[in-house]
Amino acid sequence: MSELLIKNACVIDPLRGINAETMDIAIRDGRIVEEVSSAAEVIDAHGALTLPGGIDSHTHICGTKVNFGRYMSPEDMRAGRTSRCGPMHATSGYSVPTTYGNSYRYSAMGYTTLLEGAMAPLEARHTHEEFLYTPLQDTMANALFDGNWGIMEAIRDDDTKRVAAIIAWTLQAVKAFAVKLTNPGGTEAWQWGKNVSCIRDPVPYFEVTPAEIITSIVEANELLGLPHSVHLHCNNLGTPGNYTCTLGTLGLIPDLNPKRQTLYATHVQFHAYGGSGWKDFCSKSEPIARFVNMRPQIVIDMGQVMFGRTTTMTADGPMEFNLYRLHHDKWSNHDVELETGSGIIPVLYRRKNLVNSIMWAIGLELALLTESPWQCMLTTDNPNGAPFVKYPEIIALLMSKKYRDAEFATIHPDTGSRVPLPAIERELDWYEIAVMTRAGQARALGIQDLGKGHLSLGAEADVAIYPIRIDDVDPSVDYEKVIEAFSRTEYTIKRGRIVSRKGDCIVDGNNATFWVRPKVSDDYDMGKDPDFIKKFDRYYTVRMRNYPVQDEYVNRSRCIETEAEI
Amino acid sequence: MKVTLTMKPVARSFIPIEAESIIPKNFLSGTDLSVWRGNRELSLDDIFSVSVEGEADNPEDVEIVISGDGLFRLKRVGEYMDGGKITILGDIGMHCGNFMSGGTIEIHGSADGWLGREMAGGTILCRGDAADYCASGYRGGRKGMTGGAVEVFGRTGDFLAENIAGGIVTVHGDAGDMAGAEMRDGTLIIHGDCSRPAANMKGGSCYIYGTAHALLPTFKKIGPVRHEGQTLIRFTGDIANRGKGNLFVKDYKYLD
Repeated sequence: MSELLIKNACVIDPLRGINAETMDIAIRDGRIVEEVSSAAEVIDAHGALTLPGGIDSHTHICGTKVNFGRYMSPEDMRAGRTSRCGPMHATSGYSVPTTYGNSYRYSAMGYTTLLEGAMAPLEARHTHEEFLYTPLQDTMANALFDGNWGIMEAIRDDDTKRVAAIIAWTLQAVKAFAVKLTNPGGTEAWQWGKNVSCIRDPVPYFEVTPAEIITSIVEANELLGLPHSVHLHCNNLGTPGNYTCTLGTLGLIPDLNPKRQTLYATHVQFHAYGGSGWKDFCSKSEPIARFVNMRPQIVIDMGQVMFGRTTTMTADGPMEFNLYRLHHDKWSNHDVELETGSGIIPVLYRRKNLVNSIMWAIGLELALLTESPWQCMLTTDNPNGAPFVKYPEIIALLMSKKYRDAEFATIHPDTGSRVPLPAIERELDWYEIAVMTRAGQARALGIQDLGKGHLSLGAEADVAIYPIRIDDVDPSVDYEKVIEAFSRTEYTIKRGRIVSRKGDCIVDGNNATFWVRPKVSDDYDMGKDPDFIKKFDRYYTVRMRNYPVQDEYVNRSRCIETEAEI
Repeated sequence: MKVTLTMKPVARSFIPIEAESIIPKNFLSGTDLSVWRGNRELSLDDIFSVSVEGEADNPEDVEIVISGDGLFRLKRVGEYMDGGKITILGDIGMHCGNFMSGGTIEIHGSADGWLGREMAGGTILCRGDAADYCASGYRGGRKGMTGGAVEVFGRTGDFLAENIAGGIVTVHGDAGDMAGAEMRDGTLIIHGDCSRPAANMKGGSCYIYGTAHALLPTFKKIGPVRHEGQTLIRFTGDIANRGKGNLFVKDYKYLD
């Protein structure tokens, strides 16, 4: 039995409605409890800001795509090297660090749960193997279904239950947590050298439209009773004028779930562009935010861009090719059989570049114009917008108009006429930041019932204590102190154990992986469906029996069983 | 000040020795330096007989003479060197003169791979041959050599002066394949033959006084020019990526 008592913690715990109350937190065997014995180890927080462990609901940290980013960017591997130190392994890399690099740097910032945003089901083993070496965070992965042949055929036959059945079989086979759609239909069209321009273009051969794919999979997701909603990367990422497509997509979504959103639209910054070309490129964050404000069934994440060098990687193959044609540096493209594809290129976001400056502003605007912080999560789509180590700076930008103005003065001078950012006075408070970085993410992912994102009795004891006393600091002026505090926790506690102390990781952790198994009736068990088996063996390069990820690939497996309606 | 390092004979050990501490600046404060052999840290005395004559106040006045058998095991000698002189009486191991920014390294034998990689200044003279990646860049670097001079009196291996972005490299013998690949700026002079020179060059000048074998078809022929008393044929390129470099060859052959 291990016991820990955190005294004098200034707690913000939005899921319980607690806003800056000084209290003690008792922990026994990895869970929050009422009280502990006098033998417990005691940490005195001295009134420091104490939050539930951070959650990143959309990041790219593990898997074939991330690894190829490492592989093709030796300059990135050379950029962030640290040597072995105590229980910490040597790390390297800046925008796509080694798995230990990701884990240590996230832990130093107080993050304890991570969701890998896009895992190709066929290549799930690689993701799970890298999860094994991401020791200090609990992990889960979204499986990609944007170009799944079986699903598109079922949609063409208007059979939503079969769509749900294929999703159910695949999720449990590859031990994934939720459904991800990346440029639905577009990556499949890319395999024919094409793309879809928006939600009404048919996908070649399958003759279904992205709109049909999205609505059908959203419905199937609810039939399966999955904890998380559909996680959508809209069509037409990164093109001027794409905000109309984004609005059209968001407009497709009914409100189907009382507990959480029905759609999680990711990195919306990349989907909120106005203009007819790069010459009149401008921000359309206002219509997007207004639309989201009116629809509680939608949650978005920022996908904030920060200036500097990074690597972009997505399952959106055609988009990466277009980016490659702009940058002319290097490019990787990847096709995943019957499922999806991907592309990777390194980029440099520059302050002196007008388009990059506008992108930077749009992310902030989305966070500031979305009224409820529960509907806009703080992310950079790591590493697409920026590496996650930039989160503290983003927090400071959202909390300080002064900091925003100071930064605004350093970017391209024409930005002011293209974006509404300078006119936005809103400064987020500590509570709203806590929502955007943990509570809201836990609710959006549907993992608060598993004890994530809050500090109620029985919850997982994931706690981050930041070296800042919120009564002593005015974040709108002392933004430097905010950045410093969020960059390095005093203590990061994972499942009741102190894993990180003042930025140094002090234990070799042992994470858990969450995945779902929807319970479907025998009629809808695709493992026994003759037609599904026949197609599988006909088209995949692997046998169906070799496709599922074996248990030994999953660390501390946490299976979530759901009752499906099929 | 003259520092003499004579390598002690070791029976049958081929484990490389990482000797980045051997640079003139470090000897100003004594000879209490360490080197690594595999995962073991050893003091300089364990590997060399060390003798010091005279005194010095700045690196410029320090000369290090390294001799003995098995110098080919010594890696990274002269890394980040910024002044003074290192004389090597034998064949030196890999990565000699990495990142050097000043001073002189004179090698009386041959050098293994990566001689003077990413150097920024100073001079390297190699009396023997140099292996692959002489005066080149490195994985993860966007620029190779940015300044200084490298002169090799023998032959060099492949990827000579790869990614060179400044400085001058002279080779008196033949060079291997892909000499001056990804060249950005600076000057590369090869007195012997080489193959596929200056692939994807973006700028700078490359002179080949022998035969350029398998010359890339993506270089545009301009015509003969007189250069230092010889007639050379001038090409520009690499036009595959809109490069603006100059390639001068005495003779050339395309692939059949």
